[in-house]
Amino acid sequence: MTDWLGMLAAPRTPRPELKGRVLARALAPRRRWPLAAAAMITLAVGGGAWWAYHTIGTLTAERDGLAARVHALEDTVSTFIHGPATQLIQIPVSTGGRVGSVTIFADSVRHRWLVRCDGLAPNARDQAYQLWFITERGMATAAVMPMDQDKPMVMGLEMPGADQRVLGAAMTIEPRAGSASPSGPVVFHRLL
Amino acid sequence: MTSPKRLSQEHQRSLTRRLKARDERALGELYDVVAPWILGLAFRILQDEDEAEEVVSDVFVQVWRRIDQHDAGRGPLVPWILSIARNRSLDALRRRRRWWRKSALLEQAHAVEGGNVAPAAPHEATVPGWPLHREVHAALAALSEEQRRVVVLSYFEGLSHGQIARRLHQPLGTVKTRLRMAHQKLTEGLRHLKDWVE
Repeated sequence: MTDWLGMLAAPRTPRPELKGRVLARALAPRRRWPLAAAAMITLAVGGGAWWAYHTIGTLTAERDGLAARVHALEDTVSTFIHGPATQLIQIPVSTGGRVGSVTIFADSVRHRWLVRCDGLAPNARDQAYQLWFITERGMATAAVMPMDQDKPMVMGLEMPGADQRVLGAAMTIEPRAGSASPSGPVVFHRLL
Repeated sequence: MTSPKRLSQEHQRSLTRRLKARDERALGELYDVVAPWILGLAFRILQDEDEAEEVVSDVFVQVWRRIDQHDAGRGPLVPWILSIARNRSLDALRRRRRWWRKSALLEQAHAVEGGNVAPAAPHEATVPGWPLHREVHAALAALSEEQRRVVVLSYFEGLSHGQIARRLHQPLGTVKTRLRMAHQKLTEGLRHLKDWVE
């Protein structure tokens, strides 16, 4: 019965325009935007989480693949450098007025070479360095190395077949596409 | 001068049924009958016309959306609406008490009233439910001065028992006893109220 205590207060005549305002507000359709906004946020967060999970998974797989490749390369380099059958040849060279070097790790067991070039002058636009194996049958091309920037270069090379014993190495400057036989200036010529 | 409207128990039940059936005209009829009382109650608590009108608006929104929660078995429609109005007003009052300036103004307003319930202005006597208003006043007047003060502080200012005790410098047990006695007397005095009577 104490709910009737509200009647203790003196009634007040509402302003005439209040009724329209009150009824309009009460009867207005309920705005559902908070619900819609919550749904959108949930979707966005969920989508973001899925995207992040997917991206992290992809990047993790890529990283693992790269790590495996680096590990394999380290193994290969280590084998080249520290293998008992590896012969190390260091050849000082002079190109374009500067002094550089070519270092060859020759693995006679696996018939592979690891070649590192330091301090070679960049080629003219229509030229390239070409590395040659010196064999019993003559000069066999090993690699064409266009060098456009002044930076070290490393490459792995397969040696010619067993029927061509390698006696040494040479490097010449040839046309950009390379030559079938040496024809340009000689950078070095070294018998092993 | 508009003629007073009667809101009998049957009329209240009919309005409730129509509101639950989403009859928008019923809300307009309800407004005509109870809006002056809601506005009066809100103004009595808030002492601010704009805030009181905001309470009226909030109350009708709540009534329209929550009419299904009204249990006719537990009481008539009007006291249910007045309790919503009181709660909304006290919520607004509590929010406002954070603002010390307005709080100071409110204290002045209450000091002027001296805790007594001022009689309604004569020109308001045309609003529906006026005789009921007089009966509730009479029931309150039948209480002792001490009981009346604790009822007013509890109902219109929403103070807890402890806050009332501190405000009146009375022991907590005394306040509780006065409130319990006052509620018993009011329940007895208002037991017959079911209809708006003319």
